[in-house]
Amino acid sequence: MFSSLVALITSAYEQFIYLPLFIEIAIIFIYVAIIATVTAYSVIMYKRWQAYVEEKRLAFISPKIEAMITEQVLLNENLEKIPVDDIEFDQAALNDQAFKHKWVRQAIIDILIQYRRNFRGEVGELLRKLYLDMGLMKEADEKLKNIHWEVQIKALTELTRMDISISDVTILPLTNSQKPELRAAARNAYVQLSKNEPFKFFDIATEPILPWDQLELFKIITTTKDIPIPNFSRWVSYSENKSIVSFCLKLIAHYDQQPAIPAVMGILNNKDHYFRADAINCLGKLSAEIAEPKMLEIYNTQPLNCQLEILKALGRIASGKHLEFLKTEFLYSYNFDIRMHAARSLIKHNTPISRSMVDEIMNTAEDEAKLIIKHCQNPLIK
Amino acid sequence: MQAIRNWIINSSFLESLGTFYQTVVFIYGTSLLAVYAILAIMSLISIRRYLKKNASVDYGIILESPLAPGISVVAPAFNEGVTIIQNVRSLLTFNYPKFEVIIINDGSTDDTLEKLIDEFQLVHVEYAFREKLNCMPIKRIFKSTNSAYDKLIVIDKVNGKSKADGSNAGINLAKYDYYLCTDVDCILDKDTLTKLIKPFMDQPTEVSSKTGEDNTKRVIASGATLRMVNSCDVDGGLLIRARPPRRFLPRFQEMEYIRAFVLGKMGWDLINSVPNVSGGLGMFDTEISVKAGGYDSKSFGEDMDLITRMCSYMKSNNKRYAVKYVPLTLCWTEGPTTLKVFGRQRSRWARGLAQIMSIHRKILFNPRFGRLGVIVFTYNFFFELLAPLVEFGGILFYIYLIITGQINWPFAIILIVFVYTFSVMITTLALLWDQLSFKYYKTWGEVIGLCLMAFLEPFLYHPLILFFALKGYFNFVTGRKHVWGNMQRQGFGAQPKKKKGKDEPTPEVKPA
Repeated sequence: MFSSLVALITSAYEQFIYLPLFIEIAIIFIYVAIIATVTAYSVIMYKRWQAYVEEKRLAFISPKIEAMITEQVLLNENLEKIPVDDIEFDQAALNDQAFKHKWVRQAIIDILIQYRRNFRGEVGELLRKLYLDMGLMKEADEKLKNIHWEVQIKALTELTRMDISISDVTILPLTNSQKPELRAAARNAYVQLSKNEPFKFFDIATEPILPWDQLELFKIITTTKDIPIPNFSRWVSYSENKSIVSFCLKLIAHYDQQPAIPAVMGILNNKDHYFRADAINCLGKLSAEIAEPKMLEIYNTQPLNCQLEILKALGRIASGKHLEFLKTEFLYSYNFDIRMHAARSLIKHNTPISRSMVDEIMNTAEDEAKLIIKHCQNPLIK
Repeated sequence: MQAIRNWIINSSFLESLGTFYQTVVFIYGTSLLAVYAILAIMSLISIRRYLKKNASVDYGIILESPLAPGISVVAPAFNEGVTIIQNVRSLLTFNYPKFEVIIINDGSTDDTLEKLIDEFQLVHVEYAFREKLNCMPIKRIFKSTNSAYDKLIVIDKVNGKSKADGSNAGINLAKYDYYLCTDVDCILDKDTLTKLIKPFMDQPTEVSSKTGEDNTKRVIASGATLRMVNSCDVDGGLLIRARPPRRFLPRFQEMEYIRAFVLGKMGWDLINSVPNVSGGLGMFDTEISVKAGGYDSKSFGEDMDLITRMCSYMKSNNKRYAVKYVPLTLCWTEGPTTLKVFGRQRSRWARGLAQIMSIHRKILFNPRFGRLGVIVFTYNFFFELLAPLVEFGGILFYIYLIITGQINWPFAIILIVFVYTFSVMITTLALLWDQLSFKYYKTWGEVIGLCLMAFLEPFLYHPLILFFALKGYFNFVTGRKHVWGNMQRQGFGAQPKKKKGKDEPTPEVKPA
């Protein structure tokens, strides 16, 4: 049997080597294509089956986990009677054999995280205690040591959600990781978990904070309770990391940090015009009247984006000292965007003088100017 | 006759020509299949990278963020009276904090505008704007008096006989830094804006001070996968349940879209060489788009033309750029169900491709344009533009060999099996990547139903594509006037069929 198979293969091979080259290539490709196709269908079937089994398993174990959490945490008789740290769980329930498997432990972690999102106060604290008492933190520690960055992110997310602090030695290097995703997760975790100096990583950050990361970090900073908010002008003045400075400008505006105005004004001399535009925007939001003369002084030497920001800032500050400037820009500029912003800022002042200026324009100016004013005055157009 | 036959057989010149042709075609075909195989590998890497990168992302954080960039949604509409209200309502409910919806009534001859005015309590407003891009005159601009619809702007303009003209009018009014271009009758995922803006926000804007490595690039466009909505359950402009189309023609298109988007676009994304962002769904950098001249209303492939000009603008100004694709299906569009409409659509696409290659010929093989000239255009020229011609030439040559009795049947069959198995493999891999990443279909039956198309495609669907592509080239060469299609939409759910005008621009979206 075996020898006849060998003979068959040998004869096929002998025939094959005498075929023209392109036919040989075609035959090889046919075999490759057939094997790849069959493999692909097998993988599709296997993956769908695997997902089905996983779904079934979770459907079976989830009610059991939820029942345990409800019994041990939500319906715990000692809750609000004795301090959370002194509450003891029923060890038999926690040590159930069903909860020993790795995938079940991961399912418990996922459910606990979900519960932590919904419960604050003592219930939240007790959920945290359950996580620690079940030894689930060990899994996070292992994940943190994993060489794959996506696993490390999982650990950081898990520990942050469970409010378990991570040592600076472990987390600070991660805030400068080459992997942007890991870097962002570490920074987010650091701000949430570090009780004393949540912004320490600003000092050592060599990698940029991407715009999306700024979004996340901004949300965390502005919504995390009891976070000590520093004066962000510190980094505006000294940080060499442009994204940190740009991000701090947004935080300064958000927290209305008036003492930061001189530091922000310092950026008006920066070479980068995007940077200057950010600073002007910040000054406008801070209603920094003190910065108006400087902004006007540099106006004519600025590129369009900075000029528009200056016009916007004058509208936000609305000191009334530069109405003539706004009027001149509106009436005599050749740039549509400048005219639009000047008109908006003029109207935004909403003082008797600015209103009379607008009326005068409406009576004397040409059609396009009138249209712009009407556009800016219309409350339906924002 | 016999004498001619003998002359042909005995002619050594023809024999040499035949041998040369066979060799060239074999090398060409093998290269094409090799490119597809490489694309399949690249797309797998790209998809896995995307999934890993975004596994722990909480998209919800953008919803209340004051740092979220604004996005203008631009959707031209022509005679969409039957579904316009439902479609606009759907567009107004994106999960995103800062956006406006600009609907362009492109000179509809039905009651599209009246319905919009009544439903959304619109009033005419005096709106100042700068015409940055050419378009037909705008007659009126409307805003709603109801604050619930304060994101909505409706433009009423003279019909421009193309989607491009309507889109340009919308971009002229767009106030935000980014705009999303779509067809008003597409069903979009509620998180479309968040998912498409993320690639723009994932790019570093400065050089790493640690490594000194310059990874800064300006993302100028992003796109996502499109699928057929034909047999899906849709309720109130929302997709409730995804299903592959029941009818054969749209189902073939679904398979083709998966292959083109999941395998093709994602593969090109890995090396920053995405050739096109579909007209059905694409997000663009407004500034660059305007500087590149916006959409060309005379183009038959206006979406690819725009991306080509945007990339070309960036290269000409020595600016680093990226065009990104996400492997998620965010847009569901209705595919043509009749051969007539389908044929018109494909001929138009083929004509568009020929037109783009002709207009932008200076880019072809030109290293000055970087990847655009060396990779994107070279690929498009050899494997998109020439493919139907080479294939048609091959068929004629086969026929010639059969007639003259020169054909070596065993070898011919081996070559046919080679092409067939390889084409089935590529489609199957695309379906596998899709299944590995996102399980849009719930049942086994649906997946198997789609997989079967891969086996039937070479016999039933591909010949149609070939025929209509050649027809498109013929129309391009002869300069025949294009008759805009009359795509009769089936509507979603229990909606009645709607009628459209004769000169309607067919809202078409293309996968590649």
